[in-house]
Amino acid sequence: MSATTYAWLVLALPLAGSLTIAFGYRLWPGRAAGWIGTAAIGLAFLASIGALTQLLGEPSEHRQLTSSLWDYASAAGVNVKLGILVDPLSVFMILVVTGVSTLIHLYSVSYVESDRGYARFFSYLNFFVFSMLLLLLAGNFVLLIVGWAFVGFASYALISFWYRRETATKAGMKAFVINVVGDVGLVLAAFFVFRELHAFDYLTVFQGAAGHFHTNQGVVVAICLLLLVGAFAKSAQLPLHTWLPDAMEGPTPVSALIHAATMVTAGVYLIARMHPLFELAPTAADIAAFIGLATVIVAASIALVVTDLKRIIAYSTMSQIGYMVVGVSIGAYTAGMFHLMTHAFFKALLFMAAGSVIAAMASRQDIDRMGGFRRSLPYTSLLLIVGALALSGFPGTSGFFSKDEILVFAAERGGFYWIFAIAGYAAAAMTAFYSFRIVFRVCYGEPCPEAEALREGHMAHAEPENPVTGEPEDTDVGFPGPEHHVAEQARSMAIAMGCLGLAALVGGFVQIPGVSDAIGHFLEGTFANSKLATGNPPTGDAYLGLLAGAVVSVLGIGLAYLLYVVRPGLAPALRTRLSGVHRFLVNRWYFDELIDAVVVRPTLWLGRFFDDVIERRVVQGLVEGTVGVVRGTSTAVRFAQSGFVRAYALLLITGFAGLGLYFLIVSS
Amino acid sequence: MNMDWYLVLSALLFATGAVGVLIRRSPVVILLCLELMLNAGNLALITFSRMLGDQQGQIFAIVVMVVAACEVVVGLGLIVAMYRRRIPLNVDDLRQLRG
Amino acid sequence: MLNLLLSLPLAAGVVACAMPRRAAGWVASAGSLGVLGLAIALVAGFDASADGLQHSVDVSWIPGLGVRYALGVDGLSLFLVALTALVWPAAMIFSALREIERPRLYFLMLALAESATLGAFLAQDLLLFVLFFDLMLVPFYFLIGAWGGANRVPATTKMIVYTLVGSLLMLVAAIATAILATPAGGQLTFSIAALQSHLLSTGSQYWLFCFFAAAFLVKMPAFLLHGWMADAYRAAPLPVLALLSGVLSKVGAYGFLRVALPLFPQATTHFQELILVVALASILYGSAMAFTQTNVRLIAGYSSIAQLGFITAGIFSLRPDGANGAVLQMVNHGLVVVPVFLIIAVLYERAGSEDLGRLGGMAMRAPVLAALFLVVTLATLAMPGSANFVGELYILIGLFQAKIVYAFVASIGVALAAFYALRLYQRTMHNRAPEGVESREIGWRDGLVLAPLVACIVALALYPQFILHRIDPSTSAKVALRR
Repeated sequence: MSATTYAWLVLALPLAGSLTIAFGYRLWPGRAAGWIGTAAIGLAFLASIGALTQLLGEPSEHRQLTSSLWDYASAAGVNVKLGILVDPLSVFMILVVTGVSTLIHLYSVSYVESDRGYARFFSYLNFFVFSMLLLLLAGNFVLLIVGWAFVGFASYALISFWYRRETATKAGMKAFVINVVGDVGLVLAAFFVFRELHAFDYLTVFQGAAGHFHTNQGVVVAICLLLLVGAFAKSAQLPLHTWLPDAMEGPTPVSALIHAATMVTAGVYLIARMHPLFELAPTAADIAAFIGLATVIVAASIALVVTDLKRIIAYSTMSQIGYMVVGVSIGAYTAGMFHLMTHAFFKALLFMAAGSVIAAMASRQDIDRMGGFRRSLPYTSLLLIVGALALSGFPGTSGFFSKDEILVFAAERGGFYWIFAIAGYAAAAMTAFYSFRIVFRVCYGEPCPEAEALREGHMAHAEPENPVTGEPEDTDVGFPGPEHHVAEQARSMAIAMGCLGLAALVGGFVQIPGVSDAIGHFLEGTFANSKLATGNPPTGDAYLGLLAGAVVSVLGIGLAYLLYVVRPGLAPALRTRLSGVHRFLVNRWYFDELIDAVVVRPTLWLGRFFDDVIERRVVQGLVEGTVGVVRGTSTAVRFAQSGFVRAYALLLITGFAGLGLYFLIVSS
Repeated sequence: MNMDWYLVLSALLFATGAVGVLIRRSPVVILLCLELMLNAGNLALITFSRMLGDQQGQIFAIVVMVVAACEVVVGLGLIVAMYRRRIPLNVDDLRQLRG
Repeated sequence: MLNLLLSLPLAAGVVACAMPRRAAGWVASAGSLGVLGLAIALVAGFDASADGLQHSVDVSWIPGLGVRYALGVDGLSLFLVALTALVWPAAMIFSALREIERPRLYFLMLALAESATLGAFLAQDLLLFVLFFDLMLVPFYFLIGAWGGANRVPATTKMIVYTLVGSLLMLVAAIATAILATPAGGQLTFSIAALQSHLLSTGSQYWLFCFFAAAFLVKMPAFLLHGWMADAYRAAPLPVLALLSGVLSKVGAYGFLRVALPLFPQATTHFQELILVVALASILYGSAMAFTQTNVRLIAGYSSIAQLGFITAGIFSLRPDGANGAVLQMVNHGLVVVPVFLIIAVLYERAGSEDLGRLGGMAMRAPVLAALFLVVTLATLAMPGSANFVGELYILIGLFQAKIVYAFVASIGVALAAFYALRLYQRTMHNRAPEGVESREIGWRDGLVLAPLVACIVALALYPQFILHRIDPSTSAKVALRR
């Protein structure tokens, strides 16, 4: 089979899985739905490998294959086919997505077992993977937008999965609406592209773009900025990021899959995919890089103070995606994609471990109430530490190699790009600090009652309550239901976490400066025409960067150790000393309030204004004015309607006589 | 032969009928007066037919007679029905058309 | 064929009148199903490459006035006929499943409405078009006035006054068009094709266009001419409302393409900006209103204003892509709005309320209902991947190339649509159920009514080309006339 056939198979399998589970939701016994879902994604992963081998069989300049099924919407000069593009970039991405997704599905088979929406969960999850793959494999802008929106919808459906929680449905709505704003940006960008180049097809556009635009021409900058609106909404970059922390309302595997490993990286993919356009618009690319950097710092600083376990990881996700955005915007495509891959591994792992801990806490998420889990949850703790090490870029782990590659590229590029390296390393220290803040708070210290209970062999059970508002949970929705599952007791969770742990540890070895360049070599097919991606930085500088990375990482971890293990009293003291900063950070730099004041309130006000003024006064006024005129006339006419038949007859006769008289006068 | 006198008679009959319709209150009389007006019309029609020397006026007159017959049937039927229901036979008391 | 199509519903309606009360609905529904069969045959036998009329019927009707009984179908009307034929049986069967007072009259009126609507889409003679356009109003007057809810009488009066004013203006304009276009001593004709070849002077085009536009915009309804909408929507029985919102509103937009653009090309160009402003105002106003309302009917109603705004904007981009999108969107919108109202009826039976505050939590025990509603909601908000998105895409492409600023403003409407449509879904299906809401699965009979509509939505989402391919030649021809 050719690579494109495999790619179609990659698309078809998750969709088939989703539909099978959905239509048979009453038939599947026990965990059957979970296994069907996992199998569908597993097979898609195998098919992705098939596509990879086929693609590797082609010579490197023929690694851009297209295929289309049917005309999707072609009329009046617009030509849109249901077509895909299989090239190294998309194959790389589908490998990461299907691989990580398979493991997360496997984890979920046990994790959501007692949920009453079990089949629904897997149906959505498979649908999400299908959408994500559609986004990645799309061969034209329209299909990209379709995948983009499907992903947004799947994310909405999974965030508000426990749809009786009002916080969950609100969070879902927020995510969806912000994502639609992104969709609109993307759609407008596509229109601009169509207006200029009369095509929606990637390859045609990219080939045409080079000759059509000159560098930094207004319209190409506009296209790129609009693309960035889409990318930033999906990848939770400033200022469109507020939905991501709220999205943690969804079940933990969802956070792992969608809001850490795959969907949120779509923006990075988009920038990488559109690199021919971004290279024609360096201004837009620089804006993207600076916003990415701002996100890195803002998110990392918030993660320092948040106490909700999943939200810490969510802010960390934002921050790490900021690195990737910086990477692909300044031309470090290989490094950006590399970091995307390793981040998928360790972030999914962190969420899985967090899920296990949260289950042990009977679905409470506040790290202030946790502690001492390293004895009662040894396996989970171990993998939490592995994940945290990789996230902080501890020497030898996967995050170590990938993050530094981006920063070294920035330092080497010259000009003002050294700012990215400096700020990036500073943020890396914060990253190491908050990662180990989690580890030390959760695994070390005095064991909390739940940890004690677990050591004695039984899980903590609490009246389920909403972790955000504290109101009692409607258990009809199922999970967080009567049973919880931790990795130590559920084999499928343990296997999934084990695989990811291994990948997080050794995943970095595919791309070591001076030793191997597997990813860079493979992605060459896509980025061959790029002016920026010219080889790797000198090996010596790369090692200097790695050294710097190692230093800041160890520094961050050491600081966390000092604050939370050696002198636990220091942290609260610091908080009181710096209460202003703390409040600012806990309130997340007041972004939610800002958006509320700038966007939400004016819109609502406008709606009320329409309702009060236009609807009541103008429209009703028009109506009432007309009615008034009609009524006035009718009152006058009513006067004549006395009801005396004889009066009518008199009128009639007078009228006729008058008419006759008139004709007489006229004719004479 | 001078036809004017026929037309004058027709007009007089018509005026008599119209005044009757306007001033009388009894529906029976009004009906009679209406009949008078119709026949005045008939007379005029036949006169014109004679004047112009074609038959259309006579045909019209016959049509009018048929209509008048129908109208009398309906009108008298209504009057009988009103009488049976003990509704006063006075058109001024029937004012349901008032707007 | 078209004669049969036109007369079958009415014939079935008349037969239904002679049937026992219980059978009336089913006889009328059978008639409309027959129409659906004919419409499917029509679509299947349609020659996609031709831009002219097919299956034409042309008989002299009032020779003294040159009025002809001319019917015909082209790409423009094909799918609107199909839409009418598809949604009418749904509304009829949905009503037949319920207890209705005076069922024979009710179904006669519905059947008459179907015939009239089909007539408006098929008519190729200006006066015949006006006639059918006004005839549609009669059954809806009775349906809302006699079977409606509270305040139905003032609501109907308002609706009739509004639409009648429009219709009368249109009648005057139609007669004037024919008279002005006839050379001195020539034979009067109302045939649209013939009138097209004798264009009027620019001055008379202007006022005639305004008269026609007034009628069409009221029918849609467009911003500032929508005063009748809220009351009529509140009062109308839901299956009737589904048809009113789903199909009748499209006749207005269709009228622009069928009559206004070909007959008054200079005026169309002249008033392009004005109508675009009205369209954009409709989009923004409809969307903003839709998300402040709490009555579910009004949410759907104001969203229709917004959607019709999109359709008008597409037509008045005066480009083939925009017009294609507009026609596609007419079909799509009809196809989604009808199930929305039917689902609202189902919800009302379960919750006893049409207010968002008193709805919720329905998905719990009614997953199938929730799934059907979800598909419809997503199509309503024109999520990429639905045929509605393709429609909006084409509309916006057209608008983008014609007037770029308008396209940017219109795209705000796209984002707002996501909010109000999802809000409608979420507040009815999700969250906790308030007191008095009975979460019960949709019955299989109602399910069978809704499922084909939803299946059509999904099928079109996969293959919108099916429609685009067939409408493209005639729609493009309509727009190209201007040059």
